[in-house]
Amino acid sequence: MRNEGENVGKIRMGHWTPHWGMPLFKDGVMTEWSKKRWTVFLPVFCFWIGLGATFGAPPPISIPVDYTSLTNPSEGVFGFMDGINRSSYLFGDLWGLRTFLSRYGMTLSLQETSECLGNATGGIQQGATYDGLTQGVLQMDTSRAFGLRGGLLNVSGLFIHGVNLSPGNLDVLQTASGIEADDGVRFWEIWYDQKFFDSYGVSRFDIKLGQQSLDQEFMDSINAAYFVNTMFGWPMVPSADLPGGGPAYPLSALGARLQWKPVDGINILGGVYNGSPAPTSAGDPQQADPHGLSFPLNGGLLAIAEIQYSYPSLGDMVYSSTPALSGTYRLGFWYNTENFADERYDDQGLSQANPASDGNPLNHSGDYSIYGVADQMIWRSAKDPNRTLSFFARAMWAPEDRNLIDFSVNAGFVLKDPFTYRTDDVFGLAMGYAHVSPAVAGLASDTAFYDPGAFSPQPSGETFVEATYQYFVFPWFQLQPDVQYFFNPGGGVENPNSPGQLINNELVLGTRAILQL
Amino acid sequence: MKNQQTTLMFLMAAVLLTVPALPATPSSNSNDGYGPGNPASPPLAGAQSTPSGQDKGRKGLLETIHRHVTLASTIPDNGDVNPYAVIIAPVSAGTIEKGDVLVTNFNAISNLQGTGTSIMDYRPSTKKMALFAQLPKKVPQCPVGVGLTTALAMLKSGWVIVGSAPSADGTTATKGDGCLLVLDSQGHLVSVWNGPTINVPWGDMAVIDNGDTATLFISMAGFDVPGPGVVDPKTGYPPVLHKSTVLRLKLSIPEGKPPVLVDQTVIGSGFSQRADKDNFLFGPTGLVLSPDQKTLYVTDGLDNLIAAIDDPVDRADSAGTGRVVTQNGQLAWPLAMVMTPEGHLLVCNGKDGKAVEVDPATGTQIYAQWIDPDQAQTPPGNGDLFGLAMTPDGTGFYYVQDDTNTLMEAIP
Repeated sequence: MRNEGENVGKIRMGHWTPHWGMPLFKDGVMTEWSKKRWTVFLPVFCFWIGLGATFGAPPPISIPVDYTSLTNPSEGVFGFMDGINRSSYLFGDLWGLRTFLSRYGMTLSLQETSECLGNATGGIQQGATYDGLTQGVLQMDTSRAFGLRGGLLNVSGLFIHGVNLSPGNLDVLQTASGIEADDGVRFWEIWYDQKFFDSYGVSRFDIKLGQQSLDQEFMDSINAAYFVNTMFGWPMVPSADLPGGGPAYPLSALGARLQWKPVDGINILGGVYNGSPAPTSAGDPQQADPHGLSFPLNGGLLAIAEIQYSYPSLGDMVYSSTPALSGTYRLGFWYNTENFADERYDDQGLSQANPASDGNPLNHSGDYSIYGVADQMIWRSAKDPNRTLSFFARAMWAPEDRNLIDFSVNAGFVLKDPFTYRTDDVFGLAMGYAHVSPAVAGLASDTAFYDPGAFSPQPSGETFVEATYQYFVFPWFQLQPDVQYFFNPGGGVENPNSPGQLINNELVLGTRAILQL
Repeated sequence: MKNQQTTLMFLMAAVLLTVPALPATPSSNSNDGYGPGNPASPPLAGAQSTPSGQDKGRKGLLETIHRHVTLASTIPDNGDVNPYAVIIAPVSAGTIEKGDVLVTNFNAISNLQGTGTSIMDYRPSTKKMALFAQLPKKVPQCPVGVGLTTALAMLKSGWVIVGSAPSADGTTATKGDGCLLVLDSQGHLVSVWNGPTINVPWGDMAVIDNGDTATLFISMAGFDVPGPGVVDPKTGYPPVLHKSTVLRLKLSIPEGKPPVLVDQTVIGSGFSQRADKDNFLFGPTGLVLSPDQKTLYVTDGLDNLIAAIDDPVDRADSAGTGRVVTQNGQLAWPLAMVMTPEGHLLVCNGKDGKAVEVDPATGTQIYAQWIDPDQAQTPPGNGDLFGLAMTPDGTGFYYVQDDTNTLMEAIP
């Protein structure tokens, strides 16, 4: 950023003069002015001496400056190395790019998440993989850009690279890492958000239009977000039950979202989106839209609403000295209008495992889910206000007949500033549970009935626990060792590498690195 | 299983709807100064009464504040962030209109502390934010660089004086002593004040402005502060020093010419300070002069108190750390401070997003209000609040939020 002692050019230094602005000596001779004022100077001088007895230091000096001669020093190619231990970004100003964008009210964020995860036990096979995600987000504040108050334009993209651990080694429902996705380069979100203001200038209403990823706003838990497992982001029920996994990383869907804050502390979100993030319902939805530019509108509709309550809220008066333990609670509901196949029965009412079945699943028009999220600080250190312990829980339910997962929950604890002077570190302990719907289990049972020789275990539920520690190295760099243990992977499914046996429990270990570039 | 799931869902919903109604859990440490009855707890006006139907008449300003308006982003074209100082322009001069709100930025676009070089100007009449001054990163008379602090003042003569606490790497390990920068009303740097008594001019200035003379009160928080990596083995934190001062500078302002320093006196000393890897440093930040000019109030964040220095205008020596007005209670590392029209102190917290109103005559903490409850930080609003300034009509106040880099206005 800068070099010590660098000469920035010609600076005209002012002559040092006594504090009353007149010279005492010229060419070594006391001036007439100073002779006449000696009677004034002496006591003043004594006054300064007296000051020196109290605080022995000369007064500040005033140095005139030629403003027009001042220039900024050049940073050079490696200028970003200056202050690298405290910069928010590894590459600082990105060789002037961030400053250039800032002139037009724009900010650029580049984040690399790289991790090495592996399973030491269980799974389909043991081993470790490297996986990585580069996210770029460009935002424009319209007020800074061209004076339109309350507008925000967002364009984001993804570069997904590496190998996902879960499909190759684990075969779990609740995938081990939230960055797992098909390799490739794709647009992610492209939207515009506009706030509306009342006569006092307060905004209680805004609308967002465009390609949106719902995991950025709905069902969020600020504490759950610290964990590595996918389910602490976009939860299990919508991941498994919505077409294409729903409009969530790495996918998104065109739609409109309204946000209304009727009173401080209450926030209501409501959105309507294309029913599926992919143009087709068959196959891998990510491959159906490999670059995020399909903008499908051919599906049904996904409607979602959520009400949030937060304490403390803006403007809350506090009359007691008891420290506030903050919390946020959310209650939500989504409905998708597309057609959903029954998980067990065909359109004749027969089990799909029945040899007499026509193979056409019973059709259900629409699917829905209800969910709740809680984030609550439960303890705050009196000696170190940065040290807090919080609890979170998220639970959601969906009808069993048309969904793979009819219930999922994750919950845990987050301790911030766990050790002295490690104010930005976070330690977390959490669990997740996904329940395979009875309809799916029933189909497995039917299969075993009609084909007694086949190994057809009845899936039930999958549970995992996770312990993680986010270690703050630099503002642009965090290291996160992580441990997860999966019980009954897949809910109890056959190991394809060991026919007739279930997949064994899995111990997953690894480290994630998060870098702001 | 279906019935169990349904039951569990309803139980979850019941929990979600019920928990917010439960009373807040008290602190686990009985010696923290927060609990009622603790000797360190200040008296709280109406602490046992409920918000509605309580004492007749209003107790202070905060209860009249019901709206918090986001006025504008404080980020200039060069991307400076971390707004600190907030002052109201007392006169129209140069590019500044009377009533404009001036805001400094402490960080450059890299978010390194002690590298911000911009002063922003918000004009309430047009609701527009513009750049008032963009200082160069290097000013040779101010070694190490420029990092504009909460110390900002504008004189009736139009001159703007701002403190600089520069750092090469965003920490006190490479900080310079800093200086006071004098700008004209066009935002041009005209002179620099430095010297042994100026070391990280940190907090908001208190000003007596008589037009052709002025007196400034400025806190100096940088003496001997080491880098944030220097840790006291006993506490595990950087060592707390007691070398911060409150410096009184008397100025003469010849007509049409920059202010001239004529006198300096350290009137407060021994205030706590320490380095911090996240917050650059902690030191006395709020300075408020009583209307009769007989008392100067000082916030001491590290000791979590507001102190008072008597006879600040005329005293010839240091009052040390003065006398304690109020401590702990709802204060959480108090930072900038202003005085309301009725003579109450209004101070913002550094460790949560509350503004606290104090009656200095009795030391009573009247109440507090959440003006930044952002739960992206824990506690909410932690590290977001800095400068404060009363609106000219005295019915509200301006403040800045570091998490969103915005200038806010709290109004009835």
